[in-house]
Amino acid sequence: MTKTKLLIIDDEVEFASTLSQRLKLRSIDATDVHSGREGLDILEEIKPGIVILDLKMPDISGIDVLTAIKSFDPTIEVIMLTGHGSAGSGIEAMEKGAFDYIMKPVDLKELLDKIKTATDKRNHTQG
Amino acid sequence: MKNTKFNLLTKILPPPSDNIISGSDLDKGYKHFSKGLRIILMVLVFVPLLIISLLSHNQYASLLQNEEIDQLILNLKQSQSTIEKFIAELQSVIRFVARDDRYTELLDSHELNILFNRLQNEYPEVADIEIIDSHGTQQAYAGPYALENHDYSEQLWYQEVLRQGFYISTIFSGFREIPHFVIAVSKKHPQQQEKWVLRVTVEGKALQNFVDTIGITYADDIFLVDPNYMAQTAPHKYGKPGERCVLYDLPDITSRSIKKSLAGNEMFTAELTNIQIFQKIYNEQPIFQAITKLKNTPWELVLVKEQYMYAESWRSFKIRLTTIFLSCLFISFIVIYRLSSAITNHLRESDLKREQFLIEAEQPNKLASIGRLAAGVAHEINNPLAVINQKAGLAQDFIEITDDFTHKQAMEDALDGIQSSVERCKKITHRLLGFARQAEVRTEEININEVIREVVDFLAKEASYNQIKIDFDLAPDLKKIVSDRGQLQQILINITNNAVDAIGSGGAITLRSRQIEDDTVQIQIRDNGPGMSIEVQKHIFDPFFTTKEVGKGTGLGLSIVYGLIKKLGGTIKVTSEVGKGTTFEIHLPLSQN
Repeated sequence: MTKTKLLIIDDEVEFASTLSQRLKLRSIDATDVHSGREGLDILEEIKPGIVILDLKMPDISGIDVLTAIKSFDPTIEVIMLTGHGSAGSGIEAMEKGAFDYIMKPVDLKELLDKIKTATDKRNHTQG
Repeated sequence: MKNTKFNLLTKILPPPSDNIISGSDLDKGYKHFSKGLRIILMVLVFVPLLIISLLSHNQYASLLQNEEIDQLILNLKQSQSTIEKFIAELQSVIRFVARDDRYTELLDSHELNILFNRLQNEYPEVADIEIIDSHGTQQAYAGPYALENHDYSEQLWYQEVLRQGFYISTIFSGFREIPHFVIAVSKKHPQQQEKWVLRVTVEGKALQNFVDTIGITYADDIFLVDPNYMAQTAPHKYGKPGERCVLYDLPDITSRSIKKSLAGNEMFTAELTNIQIFQKIYNEQPIFQAITKLKNTPWELVLVKEQYMYAESWRSFKIRLTTIFLSCLFISFIVIYRLSSAITNHLRESDLKREQFLIEAEQPNKLASIGRLAAGVAHEINNPLAVINQKAGLAQDFIEITDDFTHKQAMEDALDGIQSSVERCKKITHRLLGFARQAEVRTEEININEVIREVVDFLAKEASYNQIKIDFDLAPDLKKIVSDRGQLQQILINITNNAVDAIGSGGAITLRSRQIEDDTVQIQIRDNGPGMSIEVQKHIFDPFFTTKEVGKGTGLGLSIVYGLIKKLGGTIKVTSEVGKGTTFEIHLPLSQN
């Protein structure tokens, strides 16, 4: 079983790169890109198992990127990053196929749990 | 919308809302409206009432007046004909005794005395009889006075009787020294061409007796005057016999209406030539003076009637008219007063309701924009916050995998501090975002106690700055209600905020919740601030009513609260006592259905 690759798509460069760095420190193969378009372009190259996706981005909305990812490969698990205090938008994203959502500012422990669950789910379904 | 056509009307009756510039003008506007309405209605009632009253007053007056004049003319004519008949009778008797050929016979004093006695039997007032020859010299005399051979040739009456054949004098005293008048007839001498004259003297009281026997039921006075207006018989009131009648010296004030009614009076116009009617004032008393000439005499018959104004029927009519007029006025005033108050109140209430609806309709929009703003701010802050959070986390990660170094522990503590501050910021933005959700009007199951705590979280800072203690007295077993969270928050924030403002500094606010019935939850917000007067309490839910300083309050807060609570199917009431504090009590249904 190859190590699951992780892609972070967030227009907030500092946030995305720092998060990616922290995940790498925890032996997770994380890549970060800073727009929806970039994220979709790099899918083919990286073939990530898990995507961490910001809901609000200036070029393409998180929901649209989610839809595109799911149509590219339905097995990719997407964890949405929501800026809203409301769970509404996260829930909406889950209805569209997202695996889970997590609110900014992100608590790393919580995120790691969700990544683990997503990886387990993926391995389970693939296995 | 102003209609220039009804400028005057709008001036008297401006739409009350026109005058509302601030809350204090509210009552003034409605008072103005009510006053205008009253004036218009009063004019509408008063003018026709006055016109009708004046018309009936004048109509009845002219009716009475016409009847009065009719009666007066009738009386005058009756009296006239009676007196004329008497005179004519006397005249024909004298004509009869003075047949042409009796001249010689009557010169005999014996014969004359027989005639005199006979006449006196019939007419006791006959004073004497004289026979006068064609030269004006008295030839025979029968009577109590020694009046022999008197020469009348130069006297006017003598010349008159020769010319006309008949003469009646006015009443005079003459040498007989008692009032008397003379009736004389001239006759042709059977042999000669010249005329002889029979002259009879009658005492004045004969005429007086006669006038007295006519009796006057209708008029107030009746008497005769001579061509110089000397009273020939005794008036009851208007002068003395033998003196000039006072009425003739008074100015005629006959009004146009009387002249007009006289001109249309058949009885009057038929006799127009010899009847005159005057209106005069005698001793401040208006009177009618009716005059007619008596045929074949020098006299005028005068009838006097005091005017109707002082008669009983006119007085009672005036009393009745005034009573009816005043009671109509009184009743209509009361009705109008009540009606205009009712209309104004009705208008005020519906205006208030409309105002309320407008505010309520506007409120979701306002909330939505405030919500959007809050969401925007929260989101913008959230992003840098997330970066800080991650950077600090990364630093912590590196420290963890690094060997001990100087100040490692201090560095870790500092980073923990950053993380916990981020955590606090996160809570704040989440709460802001929570408020933003108010914009979306929706009902959900709500724990009232939670909402109360949320609201207090917001105000706690400000309250603590002002040394205001906020206490909770929340029933733990409160049932959840189905309602709109955002609106509930707004209601509680408004009231609690008012309490904080009212206290100023140093005080306590208690929020209390209770399940008072199976389907009703009660929330009490009690403060120990300065309290409100009854007058203020009456108006606190009125839009634009505020006791705060100018610019500090919109006067909308509690009116919005009132509207929201009604919308949520609840009720609100206030109890307050000056110096002790204020309690707002809200009752909310478990569900709005």
